[in-house]
Amino acid sequence: MAVQAAQPGGGPPGASQSGKMMQRRETIAGYLFLSPYLITTAIFFVGLLLYAFFISFTNLRATFQASYEFVGLQNYVEALTDREFHKSLINAFWYFIIVTTLQTAGAIALAVILNAPIKARRLYRTLFYAPSVTSSVVISMIFLWLYLRTGFINYAFSMIGLPSGTNWMASPNGIFQNVVSLFGIDASGWPYFLKGPSVTWTAIMAMNIFTTIPTFMVMFLAALQNIPDQLYEAAGIDGASAWQQFWQITLPLLRPTIVLVIVLSTIGTLQVFDQAFVMTKGGPLDTSLTPVLLIYTKTLGEDTPANASLAAAMAFILAAIIFIITLIQRRYLERGTEQYF
Amino acid sequence: MAVTTAERRRAEVAPAERKPIRYYVDHIIRYVLLTLFALLFFAPFILAFLGTFKTNREITAWPPQILPELWRWENWERAWNVKIGAIENIFPRWIFNSLWLALGKTALQLFFSSLAAYSFARLRFRGKELIFSFMIASMAIPGAVTLIPGYVFYSKLGWVNTYLPLIIPTLTVAGGIFLLTQFFKSIPRELEEAAYIDGASRFRIYWNVILPMSKPALITFAILQFQAAWNDFIGPLLYLRRPQLMTLTVGLNYFKSQYRTDWSAILIGSMINAIPILIIFFLFSKYYTDTGASAAVKG
Repeated sequence: MAVQAAQPGGGPPGASQSGKMMQRRETIAGYLFLSPYLITTAIFFVGLLLYAFFISFTNLRATFQASYEFVGLQNYVEALTDREFHKSLINAFWYFIIVTTLQTAGAIALAVILNAPIKARRLYRTLFYAPSVTSSVVISMIFLWLYLRTGFINYAFSMIGLPSGTNWMASPNGIFQNVVSLFGIDASGWPYFLKGPSVTWTAIMAMNIFTTIPTFMVMFLAALQNIPDQLYEAAGIDGASAWQQFWQITLPLLRPTIVLVIVLSTIGTLQVFDQAFVMTKGGPLDTSLTPVLLIYTKTLGEDTPANASLAAAMAFILAAIIFIITLIQRRYLERGTEQYF
Repeated sequence: MAVTTAERRRAEVAPAERKPIRYYVDHIIRYVLLTLFALLFFAPFILAFLGTFKTNREITAWPPQILPELWRWENWERAWNVKIGAIENIFPRWIFNSLWLALGKTALQLFFSSLAAYSFARLRFRGKELIFSFMIASMAIPGAVTLIPGYVFYSKLGWVNTYLPLIIPTLTVAGGIFLLTQFFKSIPRELEEAAYIDGASRFRIYWNVILPMSKPALITFAILQFQAAWNDFIGPLLYLRRPQLMTLTVGLNYFKSQYRTDWSAILIGSMINAIPILIIFFLFSKYYTDTGASAAVKG
């Protein structure tokens, strides 16, 4: 019976009966194969999300608090008016805007300069990918050392005649604040957002940009290899300059890769945690405090009183922000990039 | 106009005939640039590796020196034997924890994710499309949202200071199931049908036919997951609160304090963490695609 049913095409009389049996067996098999996914997802994804969502409407502070009650939207109101949370969102905003922009632009620029099929591809790829396949903790530790007052970054600055006494990991002044002070304007009383990211936070961004540019560059190199040479030849014949060719041919054809890089980078940068935790624990003066780091400290009660329900509310607000931003990006940028997702 | 175009064509052709010289010059410039950039981006690793042979005084001295005064291999021995409180040989223990956790997790994920992928790729049953769409949608939820509030959940289960919260919830990985489903769909069905007619069960077909034919996809998945587990920080940080349970990435933070930082131990630990991943990447480089699949699965 099984043999006949397995063969496509017309079956013998009574095939509908055995066909039903077969279908039932296939359904059982299908769900059996899926059961590990279904069970773990039901408990540890759906269940966990619902539980966290429930907690965000209670006044649970410490994990093993004996009793807690429903407090409605209080945690959400508190989160939205929390100064630390505001600060962390502003920090994450700068991180997202600056890192995403500069690493994408830098990677495209490098890829265009180096565009050619590479020999010894494996070696170069390993070197270029090294910072991105290595743990972010290791990268942060190495850069923490390079950023010491007596470290190699300051040494490189002194070699090219720049000021070299900066204590990179302990400089809370905003970079806009520092720029306007060159013109004699005192911006120390400005709102936090207008002062710009602190020198420390900017240094951490620079590390992130430096370490992700080569990876994205390799992705762009691969995409550039797929652009047919004839397009450039035709444009050259029509008198288009190299600059025009870049804007009219290269950039539009790189679009799917650019969108992919931007969306991945957005999701990653808005959830930045490892670098801030390892390098500064959010300091100095909370200028490298990130939303995820704040949620972490509030959940565990490290360096601050525990408030798990408030932290859960913050997590959902952050998730909503990330979701909305990536949705907008996809709507306006994404054309023909579905194959990657 | 026609004349000018023709002239231009000729002008384009002429340099092409000189191709060999230009070709080589171009290539030399390109490879010099490529090497310079590669060294620039790789420099932090080289500096850190050289730093592992320095004394702590040398590591933080001004001006910093690239090469160590002496090649102190004994630094590695010292780090290997370093104690934290009463716990001896903490480094080998962290390496062991990181290694078995990453290997075990990867093996389980490979098995359970490929099971699900087989079901999605080959079996027909009601509800499949819905579950698949749900899975794709679930990938858009940022990881931090479930991970940290989950701490309360796992605490109540009594799972803190066990490896369970790092293993059980991620037995299957949505991105990995997606990757494998696509791959399984590309395998011709004829082979399975032959096995099916011979009376093989679904599981035998999955195990004996599908898996052996999917080696490239399985290797890609395994490397990405091993890398993600070996490098994972926030998960072990949240759930492994005792030094002897920690993994290398979390343990490294022990050597960093406001008052005295053991840079030598940190740099050595960093290198121990980085070198295996770099070797794996070099060896299996062809299994990586440059389309961001790695980031997608990792996220």
